[in-house]
Amino acid sequence: MAFLLSFAALVPLNNLGHYVQWHFLEISVANLMVIVLMIITFVVALLAPFPGRRRRKENR
Amino acid sequence: MRKKSFRPDVDAPAWKGGYSPYDIIKEGTIALVVILVLTLIMAVVFGSPDEKAITVKTWSNADPIDFATTALSELNGTSVSAAYGAPYNNTPGASQTMGPLKLEQWVGVRIPINSAKDFVISPLKSLPDQPVLDQQLKTWSAASTATKNTWLKSYAKASTNMKIVKGQVVINATNAGPVPVMINDLTQMARSGALDQALVTGHGFYTTDYTKPLLFLADSQYLGDLAQKQHLTGEQWGMMNETGSYPGQAWLWLYTFWYQIPPFNSSSSGDALVFATMGVLSLLLLFVPFIPGLRSVPRKLKIYRLIWREHYREIEKV
Repeated sequence: MAFLLSFAALVPLNNLGHYVQWHFLEISVANLMVIVLMIITFVVALLAPFPGRRRRKENR
Repeated sequence: MRKKSFRPDVDAPAWKGGYSPYDIIKEGTIALVVILVLTLIMAVVFGSPDEKAITVKTWSNADPIDFATTALSELNGTSVSAAYGAPYNNTPGASQTMGPLKLEQWVGVRIPINSAKDFVISPLKSLPDQPVLDQQLKTWSAASTATKNTWLKSYAKASTNMKIVKGQVVINATNAGPVPVMINDLTQMARSGALDQALVTGHGFYTTDYTKPLLFLADSQYLGDLAQKQHLTGEQWGMMNETGSYPGQAWLWLYTFWYQIPPFNSSSSGDALVFATMGVLSLLLLFVPFIPGLRSVPRKLKIYRLIWREHYREIEKV
């Protein structure tokens, strides 16, 4: 348990967050990172080839 | 009989080619396991937000002057909750409307709150063995509204020089009647933690109705300052944010966006207007398959051709 607690402390997120502001738009860096990760995941899902593609081709 | 024309958004031509086996259970299981492992790893590495609960006790000990000032606003009826309107009280012109629809007024007073009685008088009356306070409360109850107002005005005028000396609220107020004793004793009660308990309403074995302590806290400057620091207020897109550096509810961006622009951010019925706007947009989303033009967007964007690019490449070869 102590090991897990010390492991969690490696990335402390309870300190005050950072925010990006542009005119009236304001977003936390954490939220921005999540949104960027979601966009990257979406693009990868679109562009990455389907798994087992080669196997299916060979079977044809 | 006239042949029905082909509708590209609704109709699909029958597939005459071959079929490939596809195991949706296998794919679902893999997705579930991957998400489970990721969740466990992230829970161990990052933990979760763990802010200590803010109580009336923590507030009154951290900022006793703010507590005493807020208690005065509850007593003289100038706090936000005292004049909030429905569902807490009947304050003329306070309820939000949507054009001719008086939504809050229709709901009515469902959780009656009399800020002076509920936040100050009743908790003070619940204190045992307080002969001086009991006498002052009797004086308060027996006084006319005009006399009470005179006392409250005198106290409010002197409250700018309020001090805390050895844990006591010290104020140089003349002609304030029982108000100094009432505010000081309520502050002592709050600092001991007894007020938290006195404000919690219990309708049964479990005391889980925290409406009153939350409303009292929400009237304070203290809570507002804490929220401001953590970027949780409405003007700071707070609906999307979480305490600390944790990611928050990013999917509420559209809901909170409206609160940043006119007329939503300047209207006294801002909540009702945002609710109505989001309602209309949600209906639009729900009925996309039935809305001509909007339902053609995916077909015209052709993102599906990117996903099934291999299939379309083969078709083009043929």
